[in-house]
Amino acid sequence: MNMRISFELNGTPVSVGVLPYTSLLDTLRDELDVKSVKKGCEQGECGACTVLLDGSPVASCLLLAPQAEGRHVTTLEGLEKNSLMIDLREAFMENGAVQCGFCTPGMLISAYALLRDNPHPTELEVKRGIEGNICRCTGFTKILEAILDAAERMAPE
Amino acid sequence: MKPLPRFDYHAPASLAEALSLLATLDEAKPIAGGTDLMPLLREAACSPSNLVDLNRVAELNYIQEDAGYICIGATATHAQVAASPIAAKAPALVDAVSWIGSPQVRNRATVAGNLCNASPAADSAPPLLVHEAEVTIRSLSETRTIPLDELFAGPKLNSLKPDELVTEIRFRAPPGGSGSSFKRIGRRKAFTLSVVSAAAYVETSGNKVREARLAFGSVAETPIRTPEAEEILRGKALTAKLLDRAAEAVKAEVAPITDIRGTAEYRRDMCGVLMRRTLAEAAERAR
Repeated sequence: MNMRISFELNGTPVSVGVLPYTSLLDTLRDELDVKSVKKGCEQGECGACTVLLDGSPVASCLLLAPQAEGRHVTTLEGLEKNSLMIDLREAFMENGAVQCGFCTPGMLISAYALLRDNPHPTELEVKRGIEGNICRCTGFTKILEAILDAAERMAPE
Repeated sequence: MKPLPRFDYHAPASLAEALSLLATLDEAKPIAGGTDLMPLLREAACSPSNLVDLNRVAELNYIQEDAGYICIGATATHAQVAASPIAAKAPALVDAVSWIGSPQVRNRATVAGNLCNASPAADSAPPLLVHEAEVTIRSLSETRTIPLDELFAGPKLNSLKPDELVTEIRFRAPPGGSGSSFKRIGRRKAFTLSVVSAAAYVETSGNKVREARLAFGSVAETPIRTPEAEEILRGKALTAKLLDRAAEAVKAEVAPITDIRGTAEYRRDMCGVLMRRTLAEAAERAR
């Protein structure tokens, strides 16, 4: 049963033919060429495939493509010129929060959702915001520092 | 790369349509958050021919207070419950769902799904058990309401018939002078399954607890209450001696196993510890 789904990807309406037993993750990467969204565990554990669904972070490996019908999906590509994302990106680079880089897009999406909703998070709130994103390189400390740094850049006290 | 098995996908717009699909389609399974089901599908642990997506059934997405009951619709997510001023009247439930999974999971996973998945480690279960929650189950031909413990048939096994759907979970809005608490022990703090979880609910009157209810997760085939320990506590002041007796009763009533997350002995001991901590917090909140 092939089906056609339509949703808004990074602010642009898209329409794509999918098999119902396809994840949103595979559809984004293979059909729509959105390569920032990484395929890690495919169990919702690692967070590398995190996207915003109507603004909320979700694991795109746990969504069926047809479940995106009529929804708004946002990935890193759609936030390239967003001022909060620019602050986050620079803070990640300057704080050494990127090593192999595989977790980085998902980490940035989670950090973006956190700071958008809570511009002055405590350290614990940052930790809780990236609870669902695993990094095997940095030991998380530099990521934590980068997010707190981005919060200061965005809205200095 | 773990491909999903083949199935047909259905996205009903109403409950009536969803129930009709579940009644007529072969090997149909409902999907809401999919956070438990999608990994099961990929592991080929279940292979339905049809998936019925509940996400478009707007009438199932609510958290409301109605005639003295707090009612949680089938597609209410952990994130929605965690942020709900109505659910906030049951702090044990809010504490439990706030620590289930990760933000990505809580934004999709539902309380009803957590219960229907029937894991002995389901963190939403102990708080709902101490609130004596009821579950409304519907099929095309029948509506029935059962106590939550009757939904659990065994580890990862619920008592639903194939065409049935949990449509609502409800419990009495906690009265004044009551308090509840949930605590868990995991191998780490965040995004982990509970090694032991516990919830307590008390209604106090002066320095005595008029009513006391306890429930535990990950220490039996299903999440369970411990009625003998509750009976020991009921109507008494929570003295050190009484708590010792109740803790011994709890340890006798639970039936933990040793697995990758912890030993039976450790779990049994921690039930006593968590009983004391949750009772203390529940009593404090009842003040």
